[in-house]
Amino acid sequence: MDIVVNLLLNGLATGMLIFLLAAGLTLIFGLMDVLNFSHGGLFAWGAYAGVWMFALTGSFLASIAGAVIAGVVIGYIMERWIIRPVYGNHLQQILVTMGVMLVLGELLKVFWGPNTINAPVPSYLSGSWQIGGVILIKYRLFIIIVGLIVYLALHFLLNRTKLGLVVRAGVMNKEMIQALGYNIKRIFTLVFVLGAGMAALGGVLFAPYSGAVFSEMGLQFAILAFIVVVIGGMGSVKGSALASLLVGLSGAFMAYYLPDLSLAVNMLLMVFVLLVKPSGLFGIKG
Amino acid sequence: MLRLRWTILPVAVVLLLLSFPELNDSRSLLILLTKIFIYAVFAMSYDLLLGYTGIVSFGHAMFFGIGAYSVGIGMDVWKNSLGTLLLSVLIGVVAAAVVSYFVGILSLRLKSHFYAMLTLAFSGLFVVAAEKMRSVTNGADGFPFAVPEFFMDRTNFYYISFVFMIVVFLLLRRFTRSPVGKVLQAIRENEQRTQSLGYEVVHYKIIASVVAGVAAALSGSMYAITLRFVNTTVFTMDITIMALLMTIIGGVGTLYGGIIGAALIEYAHELLTSLAKVHPIFERWIIFFGLLYIIVVMIFPMGIVGTIKRWQTHRKAAALGKREGLPW
Repeated sequence: MDIVVNLLLNGLATGMLIFLLAAGLTLIFGLMDVLNFSHGGLFAWGAYAGVWMFALTGSFLASIAGAVIAGVVIGYIMERWIIRPVYGNHLQQILVTMGVMLVLGELLKVFWGPNTINAPVPSYLSGSWQIGGVILIKYRLFIIIVGLIVYLALHFLLNRTKLGLVVRAGVMNKEMIQALGYNIKRIFTLVFVLGAGMAALGGVLFAPYSGAVFSEMGLQFAILAFIVVVIGGMGSVKGSALASLLVGLSGAFMAYYLPDLSLAVNMLLMVFVLLVKPSGLFGIKG
Repeated sequence: MLRLRWTILPVAVVLLLLSFPELNDSRSLLILLTKIFIYAVFAMSYDLLLGYTGIVSFGHAMFFGIGAYSVGIGMDVWKNSLGTLLLSVLIGVVAAAVVSYFVGILSLRLKSHFYAMLTLAFSGLFVVAAEKMRSVTNGADGFPFAVPEFFMDRTNFYYISFVFMIVVFLLLRRFTRSPVGKVLQAIRENEQRTQSLGYEVVHYKIIASVVAGVAAALSGSMYAITLRFVNTTVFTMDITIMALLMTIIGGVGTLYGGIIGAALIEYAHELLTSLAKVHPIFERWIIFFGLLYIIVVMIFPMGIVGTIKRWQTHRKAAALGKREGLPW
């Protein structure tokens, strides 16, 4: 019983982290028609910046703030100087964002060295509660709560605010939004920066969860996020939320029961979705 | 005059490279050139996808790795002889063809984003599989194996890989100039129009990905034979990144751009890592190529080869911006 609960919590926590990455990816794709292959790089940068801030200040809140600021700044620079000149050209976007991913990963090694760095859990979030025979690890609950808050905030932003209305309309028809007098470029920048910030948040939360940060983590999580986006459907936040939980849970349970097949099961899930419904479960764009 | 120069130059280079082992007895340079020839084949196979068909794969390393592992495992399991070596190369080729066929069928029906994403995911699966199957692959530590005596001689192998590169270059060039190759270039230029002319675009894309996969597997096999060792790095993203850098910096859609790119990057790799003692930044030499790559993708889509050629023929006539015969 407690194993099942533990795996459930573990899977939900991983799912939430993947969601933070995938939500930005899917929104940026839906609105801007850009598939950002450097998204995992922002995730890794968030993690490293967070661990660095934590070592510097000893405050977990400061480390989260530092990571998100790092993500937002890198995201802004990227959108402004690298993505904007290549709008509308898919091949160029794919190639250039992969180049950015490479440079971001190498820069991490320049600043912090190629070795893994330990990431401690802040004292007030370490340890666990015991209820009956079930052990609840505090940090995992914390990630799940933060993930839920981010999901609800994003949901509110997209469905209850004027900005969200414009963004959703932009996903459906960019030209019309422009014709109605909205500066679509500013909205692009905003959404890109939002996605970058969420990816960095995912990274900083992941660091104490795994206990260490390493430069390949960006690519590893990016692969999971891509699987999620394909399963959930391009451009759908709800789809990527559900698919993230699905991938997180199947990863956690498979890692326990069939450890050799955990990535393979997610891949098979994706292949199945692609064969049956190529636009994904909630896909807006195919 | 100009045309003459462009015929004389390659012939001179080929003659120089053929006589190289006689003229020079630097072993490290010989090994470097051998590596360049092998990577050049890998880069050319990538160019077939990116430069000629206009599709981006981020999982090209999986075919390279399939070729490398099939030789490694074959020579590890069977008795060491020329026959078993050829057989294991053949197995790698067949496996790469089958894998590229299925990956292609699954993902080439969809937009270019999906192929890039799915190949990335599939190659991630291969890394994990190679790490998990420790009993066969010995994971990240890898395993050494024996190859026939003849292939162990550096000079012999230099000639073999040189001939290998030339043969693959000629075959791929023949392929790109064949009717199928012309259809691939038509797909690159305008996919909808090619489809409406009655060509089943997906079939042609799958043909391109199978041919590229087979060529990549061959270069992976050669790579394993030179090292006489194989580990999971052959499946990693670094290998795919290598192909990307080599073809794009060298020049896409030319085939020989990949050769130039491979030479440039491998030589710079050697040079810059030796500078690591001067300043640790050179340890991260790939960062320079990453930045160069971004600049090439954004500003000089023809790469080094194309841009220089353009400057020579048209002097200063804009070498920037979009050109005919380029994927983007």
